[in-house]
Amino acid sequence: MKFKALLTDNGIIQLEKRFIPALDKMGKFCHIYLTPDHFFILHNLLSPSSPQSIAQFSALSLFDDYRISSQFDNVIAFSIDLFLLLRALRSSSSICITNPNPNPNRLQIKLVKKLPPNSTNPLPFLTFESKGYKSAVIQDIPISKPLSRSSLVELQDALNAANEIPKTLVQVPDLGQLQNYVDRLKNVGELLDVTIGKFGDLYLQVSTSLITVGAEFRRLTVLGERASRGVGEDRDLSAQTRARRAIERGEAESVEVSLKHFGKSLQYHLAKPDCTFYGVGMNGGCLTVIFQFFVPGSRQTDKSISLHCRLPVLDPGAS
Amino acid sequence: MDLSTGMETDGPDLVCQLDNVQGMVDALSAVRWKRHQDAVVELSEHGVVLIVEESHCLQAKVYLQRDLFVRYEFGAQRRPRFGVSLGLFVDCLNTFSAPGRSPMIEMRYPGPDMQLLLKSVDSLDSCIFAEIRTRIPDVVSWDYNFEPAGSTPLSFTVKSAALKEAIDDLEWPGSSIQITLQPVPPSVTFRGEGHGDLQIDFMYYVNTDLLVAFHCDRQVSYRYKYKFLSATTSNLPSNVIKDNRGSKLTIGMGGMLKVQHLVSVAKPSVPHPHIDSAGYQQPSRIAYIEFFVKPDEDEET
Repeated sequence: MKFKALLTDNGIIQLEKRFIPALDKMGKFCHIYLTPDHFFILHNLLSPSSPQSIAQFSALSLFDDYRISSQFDNVIAFSIDLFLLLRALRSSSSICITNPNPNPNRLQIKLVKKLPPNSTNPLPFLTFESKGYKSAVIQDIPISKPLSRSSLVELQDALNAANEIPKTLVQVPDLGQLQNYVDRLKNVGELLDVTIGKFGDLYLQVSTSLITVGAEFRRLTVLGERASRGVGEDRDLSAQTRARRAIERGEAESVEVSLKHFGKSLQYHLAKPDCTFYGVGMNGGCLTVIFQFFVPGSRQTDKSISLHCRLPVLDPGAS
Repeated sequence: MDLSTGMETDGPDLVCQLDNVQGMVDALSAVRWKRHQDAVVELSEHGVVLIVEESHCLQAKVYLQRDLFVRYEFGAQRRPRFGVSLGLFVDCLNTFSAPGRSPMIEMRYPGPDMQLLLKSVDSLDSCIFAEIRTRIPDVVSWDYNFEPAGSTPLSFTVKSAALKEAIDDLEWPGSSIQITLQPVPPSVTFRGEGHGDLQIDFMYYVNTDLLVAFHCDRQVSYRYKYKFLSATTSNLPSNVIKDNRGSKLTIGMGGMLKVQHLVSVAKPSVPHPHIDSAGYQQPSRIAYIEFFVKPDEDEET
């Protein structure tokens, strides 16, 4: 199998400054999945009880001269430590910046097998090679053995399952403000009840035997199946009563997730998404968080980037 | 009115709104000296009082008069009392405040299950809410009946910052602290004798910046356990120091010590219309904190 590509300046900026710092918050280890058209960074796809994250980039948006070949339909996957990847990117990109050479493509990535020191067995590495004005830097990031055919099939199946979109999605208002609030909820408890209503309501609640704390957001933008509410109805009720009634009437779904997992998904604000949506997955099996990115300077979806998370549901609530 | 249970069946006992959560957190935090403390809250038409107590030797009260609240509607026939965890209450209030924002919150008691209900009311489209379980409080067994020591009071007012610093320094000897008031020369002495001795004197007339007022017609001296004395200043909010406030200490009958502080609960953005060297503020924006400390052993000279 072979993989070689040149990271463009845009690719370096997107990965180093936006996406990998955010994805690193989800977990240290991830899979990198390379296909002829796309570059994926995947978390926990093979461990359904952990929060899953799928970041998909079109190869053309990040790389030039992207070449891949393998005996498995020209796809390759391996696991890697994201922190090492980020560190290599940072030091390579700083070399590139100091280079007055106007050639834009100076950072090459490739898959190699090398003999590490004190070993007779060659091991796989993802190598970063950057050429500066007077020096070149080569960094080898250790990676796992590339996945076998059966593991690749398992990964692809998990990826297809993870791409299912919930029927109703509500748009979250301010991600930073939400993160601020959820950070304070950590003092109260560990389990978060999330209720999503077709009117465009989002309820978050943490309960212990002594206290319940929550937040309610109404009149959010809804995508997919929606319902419209009568004017002035239920305004005087408490937030919890509103949520409970909506569930009873089939207008809302409620699931319980780990507050820690939820907090990790909120860290994706580091990737600077333009919109964020929440929805309950099929059969209430997960809470899906979808991040939308616009083409800079417009409100059109940038189709070269796709990022979403799936948080495992701990206890399927009433739906 | 349900005659069989004696409970009001129409309307809550109290609905109130406050616009500065941080101020309330500051006032309540002043009486937190342990991680887990059960407080008793009393509601009346005058305001809210929160009481905490430890081992019959230390009691603290926070008075939040109704003027501190933007809205205060009291509807009970008697004075409802309930028990609540102080730490939980303060942590819960903290979830409402965000950096740079001070939402208006509404407190309501009782909820359908006798809970204390809180919610933010400054936005139509979003709100933060909380419900805190309460319990039936124990009867307060120690009657902190504070009586004056004689016909003339024994009291002094000292800058809160100086009091806190003195008490912090007195941790070093590791002993109980002796407080002595004497009329000639008019002074207050704090003394600890343990791993070494430390004595801190506040002389009236010499330094009226520190010792602002002093009343004493005979020498008195009492000892207080360090941990109880330090509880009276250990969690004073920083605005007490910043606003240059004074704390009043009074010695009552039998050596019972009363320590009184003033904590500002005004919104930080409100300009202070009158500022003088004592940091005067409209009385309605101040919470009163009182500590009562039982003496360690009687020692009158």
